[in-house]
This record gives sequence, structure tokens and C-alpha cells, in this order.
Amino acid sequence: MVSLFYFQLLSAGLFSIGLYGVLARRSAVLIVMSIELMLNAVNINLVAAASHLEGRGSFVNFDGQIIAIFIITIAAAEVGLALAIILRIYRNRATVNVDEIDIMKW
Amino acid sequence: MQWAWLIPVFCFAAAPLIVVFGQKLPGKGAILSLLAITGGFVVFWIVLVNFLGASPTSSGCFTSEHTESLTCVYEQSWFHAADLELVWGIIIDPLTLVMLGLVTFVALMVQVYSLGYMKGDPKFGWYFAVHSLFAAAMLTLVLADNFLLLYVAWELVGICSYLLIGFWHERPSAREAAKKAFIVTRIGDVGLLIGILLLWREVGSFSMTEAFNAASTGAMSEGVTTAAALLLFLGAMGKSAQVPFHVWLPDAMEGPTPVSALIHAATMVVAGVFLVARAFPLFSAYDADPLLVVAIVGLVTALMASTIALVATDLKRILAYSTISHLGLMMLSLGAFGYTAAIFHLLAHGFAKALLFLGAGSVLHSTEELEIGRMGGLRKVMPLTAFVFSIGALSLGGIPILSGFWSKDEILVAVNDHRNAVFIVFGLITALMSALYMARATFIVFYGDIKQAMEHVHESPWQMIIPMALLAVLAAGFGFLSFNWPGNYDGIGSFVSFGEGHGFQFTWWLGILSAIMAVGSFIFAWMTYVKRRIALETITSKFAPVLKVVENKYYFDEVYQWVVDRVVLVFSGGIAWFDRAVVNDIAVNSPADSVRRLGFTLRLHVTGHVYSYTLAMVLGSVGLGVFWWIRST
Repeated sequence: MVSLFYFQLLSAGLFSIGLYGVLARRSAVLIVMSIELMLNAVNINLVAAASHLEGRGSFVNFDGQIIAIFIITIAAAEVGLALAIILRIYRNRATVNVDEIDIMKW
Repeated sequence: MQWAWLIPVFCFAAAPLIVVFGQKLPGKGAILSLLAITGGFVVFWIVLVNFLGASPTSSGCFTSEHTESLTCVYEQSWFHAADLELVWGIIIDPLTLVMLGLVTFVALMVQVYSLGYMKGDPKFGWYFAVHSLFAAAMLTLVLADNFLLLYVAWELVGICSYLLIGFWHERPSAREAAKKAFIVTRIGDVGLLIGILLLWREVGSFSMTEAFNAASTGAMSEGVTTAAALLLFLGAMGKSAQVPFHVWLPDAMEGPTPVSALIHAATMVVAGVFLVARAFPLFSAYDADPLLVVAIVGLVTALMASTIALVATDLKRILAYSTISHLGLMMLSLGAFGYTAAIFHLLAHGFAKALLFLGAGSVLHSTEELEIGRMGGLRKVMPLTAFVFSIGALSLGGIPILSGFWSKDEILVAVNDHRNAVFIVFGLITALMSALYMARATFIVFYGDIKQAMEHVHESPWQMIIPMALLAVLAAGFGFLSFNWPGNYDGIGSFVSFGEGHGFQFTWWLGILSAIMAVGSFIFAWMTYVKRRIALETITSKFAPVLKVVENKYYFDEVYQWVVDRVVLVFSGGIAWFDRAVVNDIAVNSPADSVRRLGFTLRLHVTGHVYSYTLAMVLGSVGLGVFWWIRST
């Protein structure tokens, strides 16, 4: 069995890439994609950790998988919402550059 | 008798009805007002007859241990709050009854007179509405059996006088006079309120009877009793225009003349004298020290006002200062234990002064002139007014057998019996001057040669003549009520008295002296102003500096103006500066400003850029993680 460490390394790497994307990208679409990347990094972490858990007797612990499925569901809904908002912003302002969308201040 | 509360209720009800429906009522509401006061007058007679037939065993009645006369009290609970119970009720005793008679009668006469005098005034209805309220307030004041109700009525009287003095508020001087009357009397009212609250604290109720009992049984200490009496007297001084609060009364001339008649005779100014008489058990408890203050204030007021009346040139102003002087005499009488004399003089003066003011109003109505120098010989064109005015003047001047003579004499007897020689000497001088100024006003206005400008003048209408005639009958004949008549009547002293009732008192040397002085004054004035045998200039030139002071009313107004300008306004200016600079700027605005400036600075962190929020979130999370890690190791 592959050691949990490598899964966690992969997960951390994906999360960091996603975080970099959220911080550095200007395009709202790419930021949403980066968020998806971060969510999936977390999913990998959860599933891997769950499969490495010791079951008690015949009972196998599925908590990690269950949470991962929830996250995938919610992420799908969130992407739908986020893309709809981005579309509206594009219609209104002809741009999806988040640096230019800065009127929600003061 | 328990229905006596109806007397003010008629008028109370009439006032708002006239204000609301005035234009639709017959006579623009004047008829309703007249009906209300007539109703009060009728009920007064019913109550009087019942009272004379009552005995201490009648329901609600007992013999008061203070006045030692029959007193009936009808009380009803007003409301309770916790252990505080407020009652309101009426007290009927001889003092109340004579006041009720005076107020209802004079108010009725003045209202009939006003029908003619105020005819055509755009605010005719409003005039009668306030008039009704004024009478109602005064009637409540004399009926009140507790200090709280009395205070409410007292303030109502004040506000009504304000409304009536400022009736022609288009004139700036009327506005000023109304404000002056209200504010000056308010100063005294503060004393009255404190006095009432002091009594309430000591006695635990507003009831007058309980307060008097506490004073006479010693439950209330001498200091408190004296303080309460003096505080009540402060209120009385304000309302009754005693020195130094007298300045509002001469200016109250700005109202319509019948209002002056009402204020000077029946309502308002006599309220102060009435209050002292009502609270007499407080004043006379222990050593009766407050009464000495009352006597001194009364004497000073009487002397000062009568000197001013001697030199005033405005007919209404002469009458106003004469009122102040006579109020001073009433106070002097109360201060000399002359309870009966003071009340008797109050009544006699009330009838005479109402008559004189109505007469002055009649003159003003016809000639539109008040400066006595520009009038003269009006007897020829206004014979009826001249006749009744002369009766009023002779009565007030103290000519024998007219009522003013008897009442003034009673006062002098009381002063002679209870106070030292200084009081009686100055009292006699006041009496002399009061005869002089009445003679002067009457002779200059009505006698002598008629002035050219006055020849077109005509007599006033009957609505104005009849009330004056009725008042003249009383002003002339009321004094006979003071004698012991055959039958059951033992003089007014046996009816209205404090302590044991007494019959008619007459001290021969005083009576003859004051009669000689009064007649002498009138003859002197006749020689001076009608026959012109005596040249006044030779006398006045010798006293020019003194005369100047008197003509300027002892500079009271100037001193008050100076005090207001230099002390009150400067002090208030300081307070206003403190309020603006310290309270407003430093205490209130500066914290608000600093919060606002802080907010202006802090808001800059809200950039609107997504990455700045994200970065803050990431750094925060990392920071929390690091913090948690350090803590856990």
C-alpha cells in the first residue's frame, strides 16, 4: 500500500497551486477553477486518510468518502452559481477581471 | 350644599363650548357665557341660604377649630398611586362664601358690560370664552379644600390673565405686558409651589385642614411652619402685586378695560389676599412672626403705590396704583390680625374698583383718551358715568357712610390694636393719599370746564350703564353690612372672622380723624383742580427731586431692566457659552468627531479587490494555524 505521506504531498501540492491561482489570477473564471482545485486537493486528502484508517472489527470507516461526496456535490452547485454570477458581471461590465470589479468598498 | 362645585363647573363647561361652537351660538357665545356665570351666581345664593340654615351637625359640616366658624367640607378620592392618595374637594366656610359672591357678581357685571364694550371686536367669542375660564378658575381657587387643587386653579388664573392682558396681541406693548404679568407672578408661584410641597412633606397630604392642625397642635415645628407660611406669602405677593412684584399690575392695563375691572376687583389680584386669609392658621401659629412680614410688605406697598397714584397722569394707571395701594392695605390688615377687616375691605374695594374701572372704560370707549390732562368736564356729556364714577371714587376715598369708609376704618382699628404707632401713622397717611388721588382723578376728568375736543362725546350704551349702576349701589351701601342690625344680624364680623366672631368695631378718634382727612382731601382737590384757587406749582416746585423719583415709579422698572440686562443676561450668556463650548463642543461633539475620523481612516482597508480579501483570509488562517501549533507544543 502506498504510504499516506505521498497522498498528503499530492494534496498539499494541489492545494498550493489552487491557492496561488486564487491569489494571482485576474480572471474570475480562473479563480473559480483554482477554488475547484483546492476543493479536490482536500477531497484527495480525505479519501486517502479514510482508506488508511483502521476499521473496528468488520466495520470499515467511510466517513472520509462520505464527506468527499458531499464536497463534490456542493462544489458542483457552487460552480453553477459562481459561473452564473460571473456571466451576469460580464453582461453588465464587459469584463471578468476582478481588479476592475472593485465598487463594493467604503 | 354639596352641589356647590357646580358653581365653577358651569363656567368651565362654557369656555370650550364657546371656543368650538362660538360662531354658531346666539350672540357669538356671549349669551352662553352670561348664562353660565348667572347659573353660578344663582347656585351661590342657594348655597348661601343652605349654609345659613346649616348647623355643625349637618352632613360634612363641623365647627372649625381655627376660624371657629361653621365649615363644611365635601371630599372625593381623586386617585391613588401606591400609598399616595389624592383627594379633591370643596370647602365651604364664610370666607369661601363671600369670595364666591364677589367673584360671581363682579364677573356677571363685567360680562354684561363687555357686551357693549367689546361689541364688534373680531375676537368677541374668544374674549367671552377666556372670561368664563377666568371666572371658573377663580371660583375653583376659592372653593379648593386642598393645596393641590388650589395650585392648579392658581395657575389657571395666571394663564387666563396672560391671555386677557395680551388680548390685543397685535400691539407689541400688549404682548410685553402679558409676558411681564405672567413671568413676574410666576416668580412668586415658585415660592407657593415650594411651600405647598414643604407642607406635603411635613403633613403627608395636601389637605389644608390637616396642615393647619399640624401647625396648631405643634406636630409641625415652628421653623417649618414659618417657612411654609412665608413661601405661601411669596406666591401671594406675586399675585397680589406687592412690592417688589407690583410692576406687572400697572402694565396689565394693556388688556381691554373690563378685563382690568375683573383682574383688579374679583379675580387674580385678590387671590393673594385670599390665600393669606385661607392659610391664616399657618401665619398665626406659634408667635405669628410671618404676620409681621405680611404687615411690613403691605404697608410699604400701600405707601409706595399711593404716592405713585398721586402723580400718574393716565386714568387707568392711577386706578392700577390705587389697587396696589389697597391690596397693600389688605395685607397690612391681615398682618395686624385684622382678618375680618381685610376681607371686608377686599369686598368693598372690589365693588368700588370694578365700578371705577368700568367707568374708566366707559370714558375710554367714548373719548378714546386716557390722559387725564386732555380730559375735563365730562360730567356735561356723560352725566351717568360721571355720577357712578364719583360714587366709586368717594367710596374708595373713604368719605363717611360710603362702604370704603367703614372698611378702611376697620383696618385702621385692627392696625391700631395690634401694631405699633409707626404702622398706624403710615396707615393714616396712605388713607389720606388714597382720598387725594381719587379726588384728583375724578375732578380733573369729570368736573371743571369741558375741553373743546370732548364736546362731541356721548354717553355709553345701556349694557355698560346698568352694571355700573348696580355696582355703584354696592359701592355706596355695602358698608352697612358691617353694623349690628336689629334682629339676628351682628355685622360681618360675626360671619367672617378668625377666632371668636365680633360685632362692629369703631374707634371714635380714628374714625373722625380719617373722615376729616378724607373730606379735607376732597375739598383740597376741589379747590385745586376745579376752582383753581390753589396753585399746585408752588407746592410741587419745592419737592421737584422727590417728585421726579415718584413720577418714575421709584425706578423699579429701570432697576429690573438693569438687573435683567446686566446680571441675568450676562449670567445666561455665560451659561450659554459653557453649554456651547464645553457641553456641546467638548463633551458631545469631540468624541463623535474622533470616532468619525477613526472611521474615515479605517475604511481604507476595504479596497474592493478580491485578492486583498483572500490574502488576508489566507494569512489569517496560517496565522491561526501557527498560533495553534505553538500553543499545542
